Amino acid sequence: MEQFLNVTEQLFKGFGENCFIFIITLLLALPIGLIVSMGSMSKFRPLKFLTKTVVWIIRGTPLMLQLFVVFYIPPLMSDGQVSFPRMQAALIAFVINYSAYLSEIYRGGIESIPKGQYEAGQVLGLRKSHIFFRIILLQVIKRITAPIGNEIITLVKDTSLASVIAIPEILMNAKDFSMEGLIWPLFYSALFFLAFCGILTLLFSFIEKKLDFFKS
Amino acid sequence: MSFLKVEDIKKSFGKTVVLKGISFSLEKGEVLAIIGSSGSGKTTLLRCLNFLEEADGGKVTVVEDVLFDSSDSSAKSEREIREKRLNFGLVFQSFNLFPQYTVFENIVLAPKILAKEKIFKKEDYQGITDYKEAVKMINDTANSLLEKVGLSHKSNEYPCNLSGGQQQRVAIARALALNPTVLCFDEPTSALDPELTGEVLNVIKGLKSSDSTMIVVTHEIEFARDVADKIIFMADGVIVEQGTPQQVIDNPQNPRTQAFLSRFTQLQGNL
Repeated sequence: MEQFLNVTEQLFKGFGENCFIFIITLLLALPIGLIVSMGSMSKFRPLKFLTKTVVWIIRGTPLMLQLFVVFYIPPLMSDGQVSFPRMQAALIAFVINYSAYLSEIYRGGIESIPKGQYEAGQVLGLRKSHIFFRIILLQVIKRITAPIGNEIITLVKDTSLASVIAIPEILMNAKDFSMEGLIWPLFYSALFFLAFCGILTLLFSFIEKKLDFFKS
Repeated sequence: MSFLKVEDIKKSFGKTVVLKGISFSLEKGEVLAIIGSSGSGKTTLLRCLNFLEEADGGKVTVVEDVLFDSSDSSAKSEREIREKRLNFGLVFQSFNLFPQYTVFENIVLAPKILAKEKIFKKEDYQGITDYKEAVKMINDTANSLLEKVGLSHKSNEYPCNLSGGQQQRVAIARALALNPTVLCFDEPTSALDPELTGEVLNVIKGLKSSDSTMIVVTHEIEFARDVADKIIFMADGVIVEQGTPQQVIDNPQNPRTQAFLSRFTQLQGNL
């Protein structure tokens, strides 16, 4: 029993790290992704090309490698002058990675809105910002709820990758127990993820229901 | 001086010349029907009038106000274009209602935003300087427009719960809510099932009596004959023939008009 409480405590502590990475990444990557998507839809060719190249590189390489790069490369390049604390390095890598993925979801959503919606707003004399925020945005949100939900659930589990730069997250703690011969904490840690993703699934189906009042 | 004067409108997309110099004029309260086969430039003409496309050349004057003049090369701000395009209303072939707003909200959305903008800048919105009063006026207008198009009972429905004909009638009310000087229709019944076109055409006919000036691009020849004061037949970006319905539809002089119209009567004969 004492062992169970001890394991539970350690896993909770670890999961706190996962939740922290999850929340900060989400808060930053959701808006940054929108800005990035504007870049990849830009009519200014060089900006569009640059954005698309960056998105290609970020999506085309493993997140684990990106974590290594952010954490190990700056001190190596600067003789130790510049370096990020572990958590900061993890957050930088996660935010960049998820902004790239989310930007493509935004782009898909925005480009799927029929031109007629913009034109209807234009002939009614509305300015561009009004057309986007009052007419287009909610339709985009409705269209991207499912893929964003998917991405966010992936993020929950990806947070475990932070262990590669020795952030003491839940899987790392569970693995430490298994080194001491205790196997069950590994499975126990899965319950944390299942519960968290279950809550997110419920949340997203709630949002989808809320947006069910119109068809676009 | 005509109420609406369109002079020598030209438009190309890349190497394709779509409009090769379109000129016509219209008096207040008149209805103009534009007919012609697909690809003749009818829709592009309407889009140029509504500033959805910028014409390469030509001039558009409403009353004494020059709305567009290609020889005037001074750059126009977004605000100026927005002001000018409010002279025209446009009803689309595909309705383009805003799906997340109810019928009523669709109609009042733009007037409310515009009223807020104007009054915030200490200007008046249709003579009203108080936002609350403007909102009341906008709501009243919306209700009477809904009555006019026969949809008062659908006021709180979302567009997805309406038939195509009903959606198009809402779109007409939405365009009228801004009180445009000239109301344009771009093939308003082409996306509708045949049994639904009647209700939309009747609404448009009903507007004629309230002396709105209208331009209707249509494939409904009978309707054009019925409602229009003036008919333009377009082909390949030029006006081939124009005149009263009696002149253009009943006694077409140009062989191309004759061929176009005879295809239509054949079609109707086959039905």
